[in-house]
Formats: sequence, C-alpha cells, structure tokens
Amino acid sequence: MTVAAVASLVVGIVIGFVGQRSRMCFVGGIRDWILVRDTFLLKGLVAFVLVSWVAFPLAALAGGEALGSFGTPIISAVLLTAIGGFGVGWVSILANGCPFRQHVLAAQGTGGSMVYLAGFFSGAVAFHTWVSPIVLELI
Amino acid sequence: MGTTDTAAGTRRRGFPVTGLQAGVVMAIGAVAAGSFFEVRPPDAYGICMACHGRDLVNWVVNDLTGWRLTVAPASLVFPLLTVVGVVIGGWIAAVMSGEFRFRKPSKPLKNFFHGALVMNFGLLAAGCSTRLALRLGAGDPLGAIGFGAMVVGIVLATFWIRKAAQR
Repeated sequence: MTVAAVASLVVGIVIGFVGQRSRMCFVGGIRDWILVRDTFLLKGLVAFVLVSWVAFPLAALAGGEALGSFGTPIISAVLLTAIGGFGVGWVSILANGCPFRQHVLAAQGTGGSMVYLAGFFSGAVAFHTWVSPIVLELI
Repeated sequence: MGTTDTAAGTRRRGFPVTGLQAGVVMAIGAVAAGSFFEVRPPDAYGICMACHGRDLVNWVVNDLTGWRLTVAPASLVFPLLTVVGVVIGGWIAAVMSGEFRFRKPSKPLKNFFHGALVMNFGLLAAGCSTRLALRLGAGDPLGAIGFGAMVVGIVLATFWIRKAAQR
C-alpha cells in the first residue's frame, strides 16, 4: 500500500509537470474547439482516452494486473453517474478548468484556483457527511 | 467568464509540451500506476483528482478525529498522494519556466463554491473529468455514461457562457 502512495506521488509530479508545460485540461479541449476551433487541448483528451484504451490490455499482457469485469450497471448508478458527470462538465466550464487544471493553476500562483482547491477539499468532507447519506436515502 | 488560458498562438518558454504529448504521458502514467503499482482497487483508479483528493482529506480527518469517512480501498493504509504530486510538479515546472506569479483571487466565494460543487458532482459520478476519461478508456460502461454526460455538460455550459458573453 505504501508502494501505491509513492507511485501516486511520482506519477503526480510527472503529470503536474507536463500539465503545467502543456496547459492540459480535460474540459478545456471541448470548450476551445467550440469557441475558437482550437484543437490543441482536444488532441490531449482524445490521446488520453485512446492511449489508455490500448495500454490497459498491453499492461495486462506485460504482467500487470488485468482489469476486472465491470458487469451491467444498475439504473440508480447510471442515473447518479449521469447527474454527476453532467455537473462536473458544467461547473468545470464555469470554474474555467477541470480539477487537474485547477491544481496546476494553484501551483503556479493563481489565487482563485487556491480558493477553488479549498472548496474542493471541503467538498469531499461535506459529501461524505451530508450529501451521500441524503442520496442513499433517496434511492 | 474569467480570463481564458487557451494555448492558441502563444509561445511557451522552457520545454514546451503539446496537449497531445501531455495526454499520452498522463495515460501511460495512469495505466502504469493502476496495473503495476497497486493504485487499485477500484479499477482504472490511476489518476483521479477528486477521488484521490477525497482519499487524502478523509484519511487525514479520520486519523485526527477518529471519524469513519469513506476512503477507497487503495488508500486504506496510507492515502494516495497524486494531488500533492501534481501541485509539486506544477510548481517545479512553473518556477523553471519563470511562469510562477501570485495572482489575487477576484471572486473567492465563487471559486470556493465551484470547487465544492465539482467535488460533490465528481464523487457522485465516482470520478473527476480525468478519471471519467480513464474509465471510458478502460471500457467501464458506467464510466462511458459519466463521460458522455460530462461532454453534454461541457457543450451546454460553453454555449451558455458564449450567450452570456454576447449579451
């Protein structure tokens, strides 16, 4: 388990570095393409999905752990995922960047993104203390 | 809408990385972390800013207060440090390229609520935008649904802010 912590720290540093150099954003690609037909970030998003799609089976072939089967999703999970996904996309556009981009912006001194991160991490505690019990009650 | 940071037409100092290269590096990092370095379960958990941030915060809160907030199995013994790594990596790159500059927040309350909202929606969908893309790549049907919904949200919000800007 400590392996996972160290690995995630190293992966984080690498992706934070390339993320700062490229201004990578997972919602910005689609936004830029709609607004100004710029494909710089959109190529990154498409490459991320395609490379991971190819790399998961390759990693399993190379001796890594294979993905488990995902099974058929139940209707309540589909509904919650759709609402959550829609909200992530919508609010990330209003916030001017996906969570990854906001971390990088905070690291390069943008005060607005630092406040965003404060809200982000408080939101995690709020979700598991209040929102999650209410959602579980409703479904 | 605040200042945009589209990369169109701007020259970068230092070591420029294109969006395409960043996407490839991030995908390889995410898959390697999940397949070879125990960043699992759940599956396709290599990079997620929302879930890993949640794991870190909840783990620390649990440790300090004795509460039992949810933490993913991968973070039970010691939390994943992806969010810390991204901030360190981004900071190193910003300092090396001379782009580090403190800017005062113009609308802190709005930023705070955006952050809290994205985290809540992200945890509802079990993934931030990055992990939804990763789950789509892993072939998770739920992840594909979340990613599709996210694209719909992005498209509608973009048209909405464009309309608001034209008014």
